[in-house]
Amino acid sequence: MADNYRYIGKVVPRSDGRDIVTGGTLFLNDLPFRNLLYGKVLRSPHPHAVIKSIDTKKAEQLKGVRAIITYENVPDWKFGNPPIVHLLDRKVRYVGAAVAIVAAETESICQQALRLIEVEYEVLPAVFDEYEAMQPGAPQLYDQLTGNLLPLMAVNLGPTSATEIVTGDVEAGFAEADAVAEGSFGYDNIPNPIPMEPPGAVVHWEEPNRVTVWVSHQKVWLNKRILTIIFGEEVKVRVIVGPCGGSFGSKTMSWQVQCYAAALSKATGQPVKLCYSKEEQLACFVLRPATRINGKVGMKKDGTVTAVAGSWILGTGYYSMTMQTQLAVGCGEAMIAIRSKNWNLKPAIVCTNRNSSGIVRGFGGQELKCALIPLLSLAMEKLNLDPFEVLKKNFIKPGDGYYWRDAQWYNYRGIDYSPAMDQGAKVFGWKDKWKGWLKPTAVKGTKSIGVGVGIHGNADVGEDVGEAYVRIDNDGRIVIIQGLAEHGTGQRNNTLKVAAEVLQVPIENVSITPGDSLITPVEWGPAGSRGTYGILGAVIAAAEDAKKKLFELAAPMLGANNPEELDTADSVIWLKSNPQKSVTWKEVLHLRSVLGHGRFDADYTLANCMMSFVEVQVDTETGKLDVLRVVNTTDAGQIIDPQGLEGQLNGCLGSAGIDSAVFEETILDPSSGRILNANLIDYKWRTTAELPEIENVVMETPMGTHRFKAIGVGEISTSPGPSAVLMAASNAIGQWLHEYPVTPERVLKALGKTTGENRGGAR
Amino acid sequence: MRTFDHIDVYSIAEACTTLREYQGRARLNAGGSDLLTVLKGDFLADYPEAVINLKTISGMDYIREDGEYLRIGTLTRLTDLVSSPLLKEKYPVLSEAAYTVATPQIRNVATLGGNLCQDTRCWYYRYPRSIGGPVQCLRKGSGPCLAIKGDNRYHAIMGGKKCFAVCPSDMAVALAALDGKVIIVGPEGERRVEVTDFYHPTGNELAKDEVVREIEIPIKRTPTQQSFRKFTLRKPIDFAIVSSATVITVAQGICTDARIVLGAVAPAPVRAKAAEELLIGKPITEETDTAAAEKALVGAKPLSKNEYKIQIAKTLVKQAILGVTD
Repeated sequence: MADNYRYIGKVVPRSDGRDIVTGGTLFLNDLPFRNLLYGKVLRSPHPHAVIKSIDTKKAEQLKGVRAIITYENVPDWKFGNPPIVHLLDRKVRYVGAAVAIVAAETESICQQALRLIEVEYEVLPAVFDEYEAMQPGAPQLYDQLTGNLLPLMAVNLGPTSATEIVTGDVEAGFAEADAVAEGSFGYDNIPNPIPMEPPGAVVHWEEPNRVTVWVSHQKVWLNKRILTIIFGEEVKVRVIVGPCGGSFGSKTMSWQVQCYAAALSKATGQPVKLCYSKEEQLACFVLRPATRINGKVGMKKDGTVTAVAGSWILGTGYYSMTMQTQLAVGCGEAMIAIRSKNWNLKPAIVCTNRNSSGIVRGFGGQELKCALIPLLSLAMEKLNLDPFEVLKKNFIKPGDGYYWRDAQWYNYRGIDYSPAMDQGAKVFGWKDKWKGWLKPTAVKGTKSIGVGVGIHGNADVGEDVGEAYVRIDNDGRIVIIQGLAEHGTGQRNNTLKVAAEVLQVPIENVSITPGDSLITPVEWGPAGSRGTYGILGAVIAAAEDAKKKLFELAAPMLGANNPEELDTADSVIWLKSNPQKSVTWKEVLHLRSVLGHGRFDADYTLANCMMSFVEVQVDTETGKLDVLRVVNTTDAGQIIDPQGLEGQLNGCLGSAGIDSAVFEETILDPSSGRILNANLIDYKWRTTAELPEIENVVMETPMGTHRFKAIGVGEISTSPGPSAVLMAASNAIGQWLHEYPVTPERVLKALGKTTGENRGGAR
Repeated sequence: MRTFDHIDVYSIAEACTTLREYQGRARLNAGGSDLLTVLKGDFLADYPEAVINLKTISGMDYIREDGEYLRIGTLTRLTDLVSSPLLKEKYPVLSEAAYTVATPQIRNVATLGGNLCQDTRCWYYRYPRSIGGPVQCLRKGSGPCLAIKGDNRYHAIMGGKKCFAVCPSDMAVALAALDGKVIIVGPEGERRVEVTDFYHPTGNELAKDEVVREIEIPIKRTPTQQSFRKFTLRKPIDFAIVSSATVITVAQGICTDARIVLGAVAPAPVRAKAAEELLIGKPITEETDTAAAEKALVGAKPLSKNEYKIQIAKTLVKQAILGVTD
């Protein structure tokens, strides 16, 4: 593609890279503070109970304890959608719910204090299954909800939000179908994205209403907005976000962690640090939503999907912050991946007595897709259709449209991704490896190999708003003023690249401010692959604006009538018509600087696309599944950062991605509701010691975004893979597997190698 | 972690006396790779007042043949079991088993004695204090075994009496296949216990003031086929879902002696004696192998979610006897 760029598409070392790999980077837990206190949380042993009494006297007497807060003396802070979740409540709704918070001079004193708090509970019946929770007579989590059902409106999306997909006539669609398939399909193993650094915050509340928050987070402005809503508009919140040790979406939901520290700081007048342990991160922080559809699809012989109908149950755990938005986005993403004229998909969001689900990359669409594609597969099998061809055919094409998350119809103005899919299929060798439904690609002794394919696309590449300033200083250096955290994707470095490209300066001359809401303007932050179009779009616009202002100053000096007659590179401006006539930035910016402003406004008319092919090996004697090879294929318009993109695409396995079909799952004790595997031994995450072969095919077809024609794809790399693994495993063993993850137990059961008899355990 | 006294000892005898002084309120520490997770999780009712550091005892890390026996000191690191030329040559089942434990970093600190004495991995037993408090169970002295009605995918399929936690030690399985004995030192002197008898349904054979000093293995006079197999979801890090160790002597095509041991299926390593008997006196063929594997699992009684372990165990035994490689 356009290879005349200086930085775009070129490998440039990350400006923060050396410090990260040598241990020099200061993450939240490394920051020094004066008079710092530590905070810890006492957590509920019961999934559902009312606190009858809570006695903190003994703990208060412990030397070094500075504050203890319970539901009796907690500020009246609440959040969620609807805002019915109190920071501390008399009622606890999951094992691990916060009961009391303690601030003390050391963490060890905090721990001692927690052991001295005496709590009496009235234990209530609990419900863990979404379908049971909806039944009459089921335990009710909130007085404000009926049947544990949450309202479906995503209030943060504006006056309207998508709460279902109902369009066309599904009965007519089923009537014209050559095959109809139906059934119940779930993606409900609630994996945890487990970023390396657990959530945490340091908060300093200076009375009466000045609050400074240092937090491990992927958003600056939005986090300040959330905290302001919780604390009240009269409170001046300053959010400072430094390097963030991974998030995958999850840390957007860390309001509780921050509010615990804030409440303790308000009570003590000192800064308080509260960082979750790995156990707390796994048992009391964000899980992927649980999904189950009871659905029916119609398909024609040529692979046209004629109708999709059914119910979509989203399990959110004990509360929702963004599940309604995930539902809305998921619905839109389903329409992008399945070009059916007739839909009747009715969602419901259900609360149960477990830790809450929330934001994880894939954001609603991965969850729905992982249940829908196995359903579509049944119809494909009936018609003996190749899933690659069917998925390719049904992915959105120019001229199509969709209802997006705001329930508005958008005409798609993006590209046809078929060439990228064809290229991916070629690299993977799909034609040779695909042998038909429930047929292995190869069998070698007890090892059976199968292939599968999945797809995902997202129109949130242009979601929400953001602004940036670009300042050109009189020393010729550039400062980007933008509220951007670095949560691992390299996006801060990419802002340097685009600014350096627009202004044609060495990238070393460009800096970006820390993510500090006192300094930086409105910026939604990374979400839904919006970084490339939205975040960089604002920086590009700001850099162009700064350049324009610089040229306005330079034009009279060069005898130009119009700034457009000028060009610049390496801090020299010249007349395009007479390059000999030039002036340096230093001369133009004598004792002054210029400030450009750029804004990005939401655009939902484009979608990205990722198709993943997987090859798995299943041992038919032990039931063990191994992923041998993954090929991801996409079109990024124009690659901005080759290494960052590769990292994002190679991230398809973990963070509750492909491995949520292999071994990642959160295991709830069926009777007590405790999460049994809240540690890194029993929670099966993939180590770097056993990576499969991964190849990424990235095409570059210019997209209608900003001047660099690029579109973001990072967020969605986890999404197409899980259903592809299920498909591949089913093909490998010749039996349908419909539950995530594909455990040895499930494989051996499908192969008829276990009897289902339970003979042990007699006392 | 809470605070505790940390006491360096310089002999096994001193370790015993210190244990006795603390009357059950002290814990021994060798590599610490298990004990520290126990202390951090804080899931036991009694937090130790003292941790007795054994690493200051010199001369306890050895691997040597001595007349009738192969002797391995209790403080021998797993990494040394992996790399020992003697073990690789004559007792490969030991080095293979050691290699499957955890990761190189952990094997660099973990010891043989510690591996044998590590606490169970049962996720009810180990449920951490910080997330609502520890769980009471039969192994902790009150209430039933929660795995029976709970999620028991990794629990015992045989030999469980009232507690269904399995023995997590890989080394115990390999040692049992070599007829290893654990030499235990206490205030009254030394005693020897078969590895398979070292484990009790809810703990191990050690009294409150006893220490494991050495492992003693009869020297093999004739060449044997040895194999260790371990089934896990992930190659590094994981504890066994099922493991098996086999030591087989074959003379002129006929099996003359056999040790077949299953791991992670019961509270202790399980000698599959019926399978051994079936093999002895017969040639090793696909047929005798399959029959032996079936025999090894006779009497297994799965819980609600772990019947699959039977199938995996049979497969491991079959592969081990035939010497099938992945």
